[in-house]
Amino acid sequence: MVSAEITRRPTDKESLLQVKGLVKHFPLRRGIVIKRQIGAVQAVDGVDLEVYPGETLGVVGESGCGKSTLARLLVGLEKPTAGAVTVLGRDLIGARGAGLKAFRRDVQMIFQDPYTSLNPRMTVGDIIGEPFEIHPDVVPKNKREARVRELMALVGLSPEHIDRYPHQFSGGQRQRIGIARGLALNPKLLICDEPVSALDVSVQAQVINLLQDLQHQLGISLIFIAHDLSVVRHIADRVAVMYLGRIVEIGDQELVYSNPQHPYTRALLSAVPVPDPTLRGMVGQIVLEGDPPSPADPPSGCRFRTRCWKAQDVCAEVDPQLRDLAGVQAACHFPGP
Amino acid sequence: MSDADAFSALNTIHDAPGSPDSPATGPGRTLAGDAWETLRSSWIFWGSLVLIGVLVVMAIFPGLFTSVDPASCQAARARISPSSSAWFGYDVQGCDIYARTIYGARASIVVGTIATLTAMLIGGGIGVYAGFYGGIIDTLLSRITDIFFSIPVLLGSIIILTSIPTPSGSAIFSILKVSAALAVLGWTHTARVARSSVIQVKQADFVSASRALGASRTWMIRKHILPNAIAPVIVITTISLGSYIGAEATLSYLGIGLQPPVISWGIAINDAAAYVRSTPHMLFFPAIFLSLTVLAFISLGDVVREALDPKAM
Amino acid sequence: MAEIDPTAPLLQVRDLNVLFRTRDGVAHAVNGVDLDLASGQTLAVLGESGSGKSVTAQAIMGILDMPPAEITSGTIKFRGQDLLTMPEKVRRTYRAQKISMVFQDALSALNPVYQVGFQIGELFTVHRGMSRKEAKEKSIELMDRVRIPAARSRVNDYPHQFSGGMRQRIMIAMAIALDPDIIIADEPTTALDVTVQAQIMELLAEMREQTGSGLILITHDLGVVAEVADRISVMYAGRVVEHGTAEEVFAKPAHPYTRGLLDSMPKLIGEGSRLYAIPGLPPSLTNVPPGCPFAPRCPRAVDVCRHDPPPPEIELWSQRTSACHFAEEVLTHGVR
Repeated sequence: MVSAEITRRPTDKESLLQVKGLVKHFPLRRGIVIKRQIGAVQAVDGVDLEVYPGETLGVVGESGCGKSTLARLLVGLEKPTAGAVTVLGRDLIGARGAGLKAFRRDVQMIFQDPYTSLNPRMTVGDIIGEPFEIHPDVVPKNKREARVRELMALVGLSPEHIDRYPHQFSGGQRQRIGIARGLALNPKLLICDEPVSALDVSVQAQVINLLQDLQHQLGISLIFIAHDLSVVRHIADRVAVMYLGRIVEIGDQELVYSNPQHPYTRALLSAVPVPDPTLRGMVGQIVLEGDPPSPADPPSGCRFRTRCWKAQDVCAEVDPQLRDLAGVQAACHFPGP
Repeated sequence: MSDADAFSALNTIHDAPGSPDSPATGPGRTLAGDAWETLRSSWIFWGSLVLIGVLVVMAIFPGLFTSVDPASCQAARARISPSSSAWFGYDVQGCDIYARTIYGARASIVVGTIATLTAMLIGGGIGVYAGFYGGIIDTLLSRITDIFFSIPVLLGSIIILTSIPTPSGSAIFSILKVSAALAVLGWTHTARVARSSVIQVKQADFVSASRALGASRTWMIRKHILPNAIAPVIVITTISLGSYIGAEATLSYLGIGLQPPVISWGIAINDAAAYVRSTPHMLFFPAIFLSLTVLAFISLGDVVREALDPKAM
Repeated sequence: MAEIDPTAPLLQVRDLNVLFRTRDGVAHAVNGVDLDLASGQTLAVLGESGSGKSVTAQAIMGILDMPPAEITSGTIKFRGQDLLTMPEKVRRTYRAQKISMVFQDALSALNPVYQVGFQIGELFTVHRGMSRKEAKEKSIELMDRVRIPAARSRVNDYPHQFSGGMRQRIMIAMAIALDPDIIIADEPTTALDVTVQAQIMELLAEMREQTGSGLILITHDLGVVAEVADRISVMYAGRVVEHGTAEEVFAKPAHPYTRGLLDSMPKLIGEGSRLYAIPGLPPSLTNVPPGCPFAPRCPRAVDVCRHDPPPPEIELWSQRTSACHFAEEVLTHGVR
């Protein structure tokens, strides 16, 4: 896995993004005029992580694990219920006005659905140029069109198409437009929320390669969120596995994939279909029973215990915390094979 | 792997220009442009447009269609059937029905237009505000909308119109009064449509993207929400025009809408109703014109709605 | 009902052509497609969006909207009987009873206002003339078979009360209810999480084994194909570009598109760095270029590939074909 050769012995000073104890609960309300809170969907429930310059952190998990909410929190689209987010030493949570605007220039997002992430009534040039109109000091007015064309070429689009509308492009091309828009303000961190999930296999590869190339060229950091473990493997330096609002395992991609410590990671990895018919039936597949619990009513203690084949009494009583295990960090009372 | 090499040699970062690209390449094809393509080939569109065009001309320049003075009535000619000299015959007071029908277009269309525009502004504004801000503002405005919605249109109009006296002989006041009454009771439809349209657009990723870029609320409304939410509002506005014209006719028929000397189809229908069995021509012609006008607007609205419907590419 | 020849192959599609009349022109969605399915076999129809695989499945089921679709030629023979020339009344009896379908999105395929037990039971009341009570018992039995826990108490629940994976099981229950000879599964696991996907594929394989029916799996997911398919037909731009057994196609693809697809797929094992990506985009179906539809993106393409006629299906050996002028070379040497 070739990436910019940075020594991976970071100190706190080096990290680009620091997240501590991030929590987001969505209240469930009932009532017609006056609404009472009857519970909460614990979408993100205590997440710590760090992202270093020039690296890609993969975040994997299934639907309902909170990864999309995490993405929205990190880019400022949702306000956390609790916790702290620091970017380049500056606090996001309390930021207002100019501070918030500066933050926006450092962290941007690419969305999942190429069909709803672009305003159908704006031209490609307007879409990619919108960041310059919102942040007029980044590029002077007379240089904006040139810069937009530059960005289009950078992501592999033909600059002649600057006056076309999104519906004239394919899904993969629309994602490129979204990437160009995300790069316009020269962010340090790009959060990619399932950027290839809605694309065909052959186009997925194009976009993944593009993101990798851009990372090398521009030195930006990526947080790559996906439910497809094979995709994350190709692009991530480190991987975090999420389940029901928490990170259950995090570490170097190679280590997590070759020697997963948390049972959920094991189950996830074994569930990925092996694209080799000769190996059919030979890979011991762990098939999890039942459905994931509702994030509004998570199980006591370890959240995974209801589907875990190793579960014991202690799992229901004590909530395991992330600790160093075999080179990665995992939250389990009975880690390992 | 030689295959991989072969492929990666081709795997330049650029989409080759001229590669099997998006269909219908060419200069920017807007959604409005697409809609126009659909409309251009629809005979319903052209038909209703032509009809509306004729009616509008009729409203502005009634003299082009008839040289007869609709106000010159002779009792001696009362209720005479259509003939070559008077195509639609004469009404109960001996006025030329053809002339009155032509001149009647003006009142109906003016009332319809004013009522629709007012309703669109009030309803659209309230709907957009409620939909975009959500929360307590939405709750408040929606409940107000519900209250107005529940007032029966006819009953409400009767109350409003009878409690505001019209200085007699003032045609303009009469027209404005009726338009206002209709708009005050009818804005709720537009408000609901606008609100749900805004709510739907608000959820789209491109709005989130704009917010993530740091856009202000005004910017988002102006650049993203309004252009995408407006289509259903346009449709309901076009359709309402037709129903406002019908409503005005109903009110005038009931005697509480437009008052003489204003000439309107509703009034003509009112006068003719009692004689429908003996001299049906008096009722027939104004009624036909009314129906055709309403039909034209509703068809136009319908066909525009279908054209603006974003089709899957 | 017409006579069924028990010795004829289960399903034989020959030279199927389907086009769509759209505002932008005529889209040739399916161009001369041949497919074969034997009893107890799983055929995977592999292709990306726009390849025509779903349209082919819908044509076999007989649920295409015509217009705007139009089947211009071809035969679909179910045990020797051509489904396309059958009167609609007879065709309708085949649906659900002989050929059934599992759709991609169970939430929109199930009627939200009817209880699940009622929807499954409907198959029995309509096609088998059972009473509501008997049908309900059958529904519970089926729900048990597809391993929906506590079936008896859940039979009166509505679709939205089930999770995605459970809903898909209900769809499978409905598909196997009347013991059809063929089950067509159109992207049955695409909308599901990986762990649930594994459960559903396991279930489908089990059901197929229990009932001995044939399974046509429409998908773009190579991993899923590798797990359950016996034979594969690869589709591109409305044509089948390759036929073969799963082992044959995965080990040694005979068409540059299949080769490219396999190379561009992210894998959990093997080299973990740069992916190989097929450049360019699939052709628009209203404007298919002359010659081989894959030529503009093929590293192997030469002049003959870019001119009509498009490459014929070359038979490499029994039941192994490839629609490439250079099929043999691609097979032995890969794409150079």
